[in-house]
Formats: sequence, C-alpha cells, structure tokens
Amino acid sequence: MTDFLYPFIEGDERDSGALLEDLGRSAEAKATLSATLRSDTLAALDQELEAVAVAMAERFGRGGRLYAFGNGGSPTDAAGVATLFVRPPSGRPLPARSLVADHAVLTALANDVGFDLVFSRQLISTAGPADIALGLSTSGSSTNLLGAFAEARRLGLLSVGVAGYDGGTMKASDTIDHCLVVRSDSVHRIQEAQSAVVFALWERVQRLLPEGDVHGQ
Amino acid sequence: MILGEVAPALASAALALARRFAAGGTLWCWAPDAPEHAQHVAVEFVHPVIVGTRALPAVALLGDDAIGTLRPMARAGDVLLVVAGADVPLAASLRRAEAWGLTTIRLGAGPRPLNGLADHVLWLGEDVAARHDGRLVLGYHLLWELTHVCFEHPGLLAEVADDGPVCTTCSDEGRLAEVVVSDQDDATVRTAAGTERVSTLMVGPVRPGDLVLVHAGTAITRVDP
Repeated sequence: MTDFLYPFIEGDERDSGALLEDLGRSAEAKATLSATLRSDTLAALDQELEAVAVAMAERFGRGGRLYAFGNGGSPTDAAGVATLFVRPPSGRPLPARSLVADHAVLTALANDVGFDLVFSRQLISTAGPADIALGLSTSGSSTNLLGAFAEARRLGLLSVGVAGYDGGTMKASDTIDHCLVVRSDSVHRIQEAQSAVVFALWERVQRLLPEGDVHGQ
Repeated sequence: MILGEVAPALASAALALARRFAAGGTLWCWAPDAPEHAQHVAVEFVHPVIVGTRALPAVALLGDDAIGTLRPMARAGDVLLVVAGADVPLAASLRRAEAWGLTTIRLGAGPRPLNGLADHVLWLGEDVAARHDGRLVLGYHLLWELTHVCFEHPGLLAEVADDGPVCTTCSDEGRLAEVVVSDQDDATVRTAAGTERVSTLMVGPVRPGDLVLVHAGTAITRVDP
C-alpha cells in the first residue's frame, strides 16, 4: 500500500547512484556551512582573539606553560592544541600539555575523587601563576571544565574557554578571563570552528612572542 | 564549491564503510603523526553526538606498532582508516591491510601524498593550515554523517561481490597474501579468504611477514610492500 509513497520501505532499493549523488550534495552543503561558520567566527572574535593572544604570549614570555582540556571529541582537540604548540608546523615550540593524555592520572582521579575533579586536581598539582588554562567544550557547561577554571582563577592562571552554542555556563562564569564562543547548535560544526579559533590563536601567539628565549625551548 | 571532487569520494567511502559495518565489520582508526585524530574518529562512531543514532564499532590504534597490534585483531571485512600527512610512509601498511582483506581509507590534509594510496582517498585541502584549522576534522565528521545516512537505505547495504580479475585458464584469481609460517618449499599464508597452504617453489625462501601474490595454490611472485 505504501510502496507508492515510500518505494524503498521494504529495503529493496538496489541502485546506489541516487544515494551517492545525495550524499555528495549533502557533504558539499555541510562543508559550505562549516566554511561560513569558521570565517564568520574568526571575524566576530577578531579583537578578542588578539587580546587573548597578547595575554598568552605574555605568559609564555614569563616561562608559563599551557594546559589544555575537554571532554569527548574536545579532549582530542585539546591534545591537538598541545601538539600544535609543542611541535608546531613552523615557528617556535612552546610548552603545552593536554590534561587528558595520561590515562593513569585520569582514571585514578575519576575513580577516587570523581570525574568532576579530573582537571582541577591536575592543575592543583602542576600549575602555577604564569601558566595558561585552555578548556574546550561544545556545550560550554561541562562541570569538570567549570571546576578547572575556578581552580585556575585561585592559582592565578590566565584562563581561556572555547565554547559552542550560546557559550553556556562558561560564558556566564566570572572565573574565566576570556570565553571565545562559536555560535552554532551543531556539535560537529562547532568543533570544526573551534579548531579554526585555536589555530588562529596559535598563529597570533607566534607573531606576538617576545624576543629571546622562551621557557621550554 | 568547497569540496569539489572530495564530495563524491566521501560519498563512496561512506557507502563502502556502511556496507562493511552492516556486514559486521570494525573500523580501525590510525593516525601515526597525530593520534588524537584517530581517537576523535573512533569516539564519533562509538558514542554518536546525535541521540538515537546507532553506536558502531570503531577503535583507535594507539602506540608505536599499530600494524603489529592490528595483525591479530583485524578480520577480513574490517576497514582501516588512516589519518596522516603525506610525509608518513604508509604504502607498506596499506598493502598489508589489503592482504588481510581490509578496505582502506586514507584521510588527510596538507601537501598531497604521491604514494601510499588507499581504496578511498579523502584529501581536505593542500595547504598546511588545512591540517589544523578545522578542515581535516570536517572530513571525518562528514564521513560519519554520510555513513549514517546510508543506514537509512538498508537495500543498498548488501555487499556487492567483487572477486577481482580471474584467470581464464583455471578460474582462480591472483590474491595478495602475507606469509604466516614458512617451511622448506611451502608456506601458510593469510589472505582475505583466510589462511591456506601454498607452494613457494616459484619465489624461493620466504619469511613470516613477506607479501606474495597467490594463484592456484602457488606463490607466483613476491610483492614489494
């Protein structure tokens, strides 16, 4: 009865040509959305990116280290941030580390004190006032990031949040020095634009670094 | 056009991947020069961001010897996705995966590789920045999204038989194989069809790990990986 309206409802679709064309069109449309969001975000955040980069370069100049963290796809982006700063495609290597990299530390903290504290406890043990805390979240409301930023404030770190949607709790928080928001409601498009934001930060920090030795080189 | 020729390449890679998943395959993700990308791809499939989307078996290969880890883990019908720059030598690993019966996908950005090509090559931009500014991540996000669209078309998920070129004399085909155990004049080899004994008289002494082309019960030539 419904075959007329839904010819493939019984799973007897055999010609993949139409599907492949659909997939190609869909990929192109999403890539366009991604490119637009990335360039719009960089344009909207231009002045704030410069201010954050100036503050980060000043910390690196004082011997500070960068600590990056996040949950889900975001910690892999945090690992990417750390790699970008430590082993850059060009320019000067800078001290940076992902707080998600060590499974022993992460599971020990998660098991013993809870997942909400996995980043803040690491900052307590290793970070100092010259350092930088950079947290990535698509929702902007991850409890363990908010805890880490509160701890970063107590320790005197420069704190930088990268969030999505409307910025969530991170944007409203008064413990984060700078919160860079990618305004979208697609997790994937947010993560892509967050990569662009972090890459732009890295490029600007490289340009703004003080002359002479930077700790960690 | 942002993607251009990459769009149809993504479409056919997604359909191939969906077909392998539908047949019980696992996606192995390997990113030798930036392991976080392998982990990001795996978490997309295992824990989808869209509620109600099915979780699919994907595993990030970490550590120094990904191919050594993969050898006992992989089954014919699995997929190996490699995210790597052009300067990472991959030809030997991709050839070995082919011998094990894996479909290979190579995804990357930056300067384009001249060799180490896979069944599906997805290149998201030729400038260095493309590796870092979100375009590489876009590539595997799209692969994930398109793969799930394919699951809405169950009739298209059946594997299309492709036995490769077949010998007109004996109807056997030339198949890539990896030597598992070698004896005097014969060896146990692994191919996409499983393990089998073959004569090695034509190629001379072989060692475990060597790649050979097998035809009608005989290793007929060595394959330089």
